[in-house]
Amino acid sequence: MSHSFEFDSKNPRVHKAYQKRIFNSPAVLLFNFIILVVLLAGGGVLFYFKSCFCWLLFGCSAFPIVFMFWVKNSLSEIPIKNSQKFTDLISEDLLLLLNEKMTPTDLVRILPKTRSGLFLMVRFELPKSFFEQIGGLLPAATEPIYDSACKIRQETQSEEITGAILAVAIIENLPNYEQILSQLKLSIHDLYQGITWYNYLNGLVKGGRKTLHTGGIARDFAFGYTPTLEHFALNLSVRYMGTNERIQQAENKEIIEKIIHTFSHTGRQNVALVGAYGSGRSTLVSSFAETLMNADSKIPNSLKYRQIYALDAPSLISAAKNSGEIEYLMIKILNEIYSARNIILCLDNAHLFFEEGPGSVDIANLLVPVLEAGKIRIIMIMDDQKFLEISAKNPNLTNLLNKIVVTPTDQNETIKILMDQVPYFEHQKNVIYTFKSLLEAYRLSKQYIHDIEMPGKAKLLLESSASFAENGLVTETSVQNTIERTYGVKIKVAEDNEDRETLLNLENLIHARMVDQVEAVSAVSNALRRAAAGVKNQSRPIGTFLFLGPTGVGKTELAKTLSEVYFNGENNIIRIDMNEFVEASDVSRLIKDGAKDSLSLTAQVIKQPFAVVLLDEIEKAHPSVLTTLLQVLDEGVLRDERNREVSFRDTIIIATSNAGANEIRKHIAEGKKIDDFKEVLIEKMINDGEFKPEFLNRFDEICLFKPLSKEDLMQVLDLMIASTNKTLSSQKISVKLSDEAKQILIEKGYDPKMGARPMRRIVQKTVENFVATAILSGIAKPGSTLTISATEINIS
Amino acid sequence: MAIIEMFFWWYASGWAVFAQKTKSFLSNIIDFFSMNSLIRTLFKPFRQISAETANENASLDLKFHMFIDRLISRFIGFATRLVLLVAGLFLILVGGTISLVLIIIWPLVPLMPIIGLVLTIMGVTL
Repeated sequence: MSHSFEFDSKNPRVHKAYQKRIFNSPAVLLFNFIILVVLLAGGGVLFYFKSCFCWLLFGCSAFPIVFMFWVKNSLSEIPIKNSQKFTDLISEDLLLLLNEKMTPTDLVRILPKTRSGLFLMVRFELPKSFFEQIGGLLPAATEPIYDSACKIRQETQSEEITGAILAVAIIENLPNYEQILSQLKLSIHDLYQGITWYNYLNGLVKGGRKTLHTGGIARDFAFGYTPTLEHFALNLSVRYMGTNERIQQAENKEIIEKIIHTFSHTGRQNVALVGAYGSGRSTLVSSFAETLMNADSKIPNSLKYRQIYALDAPSLISAAKNSGEIEYLMIKILNEIYSARNIILCLDNAHLFFEEGPGSVDIANLLVPVLEAGKIRIIMIMDDQKFLEISAKNPNLTNLLNKIVVTPTDQNETIKILMDQVPYFEHQKNVIYTFKSLLEAYRLSKQYIHDIEMPGKAKLLLESSASFAENGLVTETSVQNTIERTYGVKIKVAEDNEDRETLLNLENLIHARMVDQVEAVSAVSNALRRAAAGVKNQSRPIGTFLFLGPTGVGKTELAKTLSEVYFNGENNIIRIDMNEFVEASDVSRLIKDGAKDSLSLTAQVIKQPFAVVLLDEIEKAHPSVLTTLLQVLDEGVLRDERNREVSFRDTIIIATSNAGANEIRKHIAEGKKIDDFKEVLIEKMINDGEFKPEFLNRFDEICLFKPLSKEDLMQVLDLMIASTNKTLSSQKISVKLSDEAKQILIEKGYDPKMGARPMRRIVQKTVENFVATAILSGIAKPGSTLTISATEINIS
Repeated sequence: MAIIEMFFWWYASGWAVFAQKTKSFLSNIIDFFSMNSLIRTLFKPFRQISAETANENASLDLKFHMFIDRLISRFIGFATRLVLLVAGLFLILVGGTISLVLIIIWPLVPLMPIIGLVLTIMGVTL
């Protein structure tokens, strides 16, 4: 076959497309219909009056009928031809829009006029201006673009060349198109996926026009009545009958085939779908139910029109007064299923039927003999853990089941499933989803949503994002906003001026709350800037720091300040006192399930993934605890006791320790700077066995905190007085200290070993007590400023 | 030009399209009346009422009663299915006959205006 990459306006398809536009218009069809009615009515009247002219009118009425039949059948679709000519392969709308004199710039202009071109522009946020701007970069002739379009059609296995394919072909013909696309955070692969997405949706529309064969009115005549089952179960077959699109793109066809195979062969005709919640187990059963009810599906006759009922454990339990009554109901239901001969029983959350407790009932004793006798068919849905538990308790039961594992989907599969799901969400929520919102839903749900697996969690996030749609469009930002609002995480790269200003002046903002420790402040500030600019390693925490130094010098204060300045308030700090983890067995407390211990490290991070994690007095923790923490420092994840991956990738991890405090004090007293002895000190700590080298190496930075000098303490005192004034501001009272008073406090509060802590106590005993007395005695009135002199300090 | 194409289509693919539509129409009737199921299960008990069989140890009297119950259920099933089968077959027959007639007279339809003109000229009245 010869290739032709030119548009041929004399091609019969072009001619037909124009005919369709004219003759298939509502006006022409209505006119034709009126003529038909007039001819038949006129003929009828003449026939009544016995006029021979009636035959002429009746005869002529055949003409509008022929016309109507021709338009509705010959012109309704203009199929592509099996050739390599460009004109034979293009879609109907393009046939009407293209002509031989067109330039690439003209092609760009017609794209929004095609349904698929518009689809691509909207879903990929490619504005009209984008195509206008690239107009100047395009080749002079259209042939290379048409050539690319033919290749893309083959590569994407598209039926025809649509506007979307033409748009991608235009982009592919730009010099440096990959660079241009990367500016839009897109790749050519994404656009190819967009073409497939359009083809899929188009296929759904076409498929919806087909008549569905579901067995007819006498389908269930040969099967029995099931009144009790109907009362306590949901008929999935009736619910999903005719929704054939549900399985078109789902990557689980293989599993459905396995189920069909199990149910159509002799032996154990029972299935256990084992997989995590959200991995699509229930969707598989719905798809299977739909397949059985479709007369045109290729399944054995023994399975055709079999109906799947999902038994509802809670309604069964609530209807019965005691376990005896539950047993009675279950026997009745099982008898009905057996007699009906067309029922497959589905036990969703199957563990509820095999354990005693609130909302559950143990029917193993009833079910096992029935299954052993092969009297009924059953599908059970459960997760791995529950399967193991049921196996341990009732090995006979699990031996009767064919276990089919449902694994969570990967990125490609998830995106396909989301594409599958999007039309339903769009219909329900009246929004339009962009392609990037799908990718973002996958990425963010993977990182932040726990307890549910892919693709369930991505679907969940995508659905929730509809509430954050702007102008009816759900974009990447809508998904990010959903996560930010729901989980309190900051994921967007700093965008507004206020955020940028905060980040650029982070050191100043921190120093407004704490004194000196420039090295440590600078290290954490840099880490935050890297994270906010999106240049940090995505698979590690924002920053990991080990703060070493004497007590009371600001280690914990820096962590709190960070939380206040960057993590939306001082409450976003997860503080773990490591002196409570001194035994090897304490590792289990660190990773305990949130339902059992809400204060375990993993539980707190699940609740607050965007926070400062402060591991206080790390040197006191047991080596096994430190080994557990290695993974967090390295990969930013920790598995809890339920084996859930908990992400620490949006946290700053700060470990504090007093180890080496004496050496630091000694070196500083000798007048050395921190950099002069830092390496030696770390080496000494390793040699002394205080920390293992592999633990210290995991931190981004080890920051040494020097002891506070008297000058530093003066600044600390000012901060404390400022804090007291902040507390008093609601009473419109302020306090200030004379210089002499300050000197006295510094002298009394200075202790190189204890840092600023004694100063806090002194301020409480003197300043705060003085102010309290003044307020109670009526000396301090709203609007007054109390000045505390040295004498008053001495008296206090 | 369009008229020539229309007539050309009528005598070429149009005929096949109509035959295809007729086949699809008949297939929809077959599905609507569940003809396949009706024929396959013609003598089965209706909705499995009294379809249980007595076990071997049951008394002769019970066995006999169950046999009679089953027989009645099968008879009801047979009668109901037969009614539907007949209705379905009737529709298939009528639809099929009309379709067959239309397929046969298909080539004549575009000639109807000429036939009408001839009849008018001949002054035929009823």
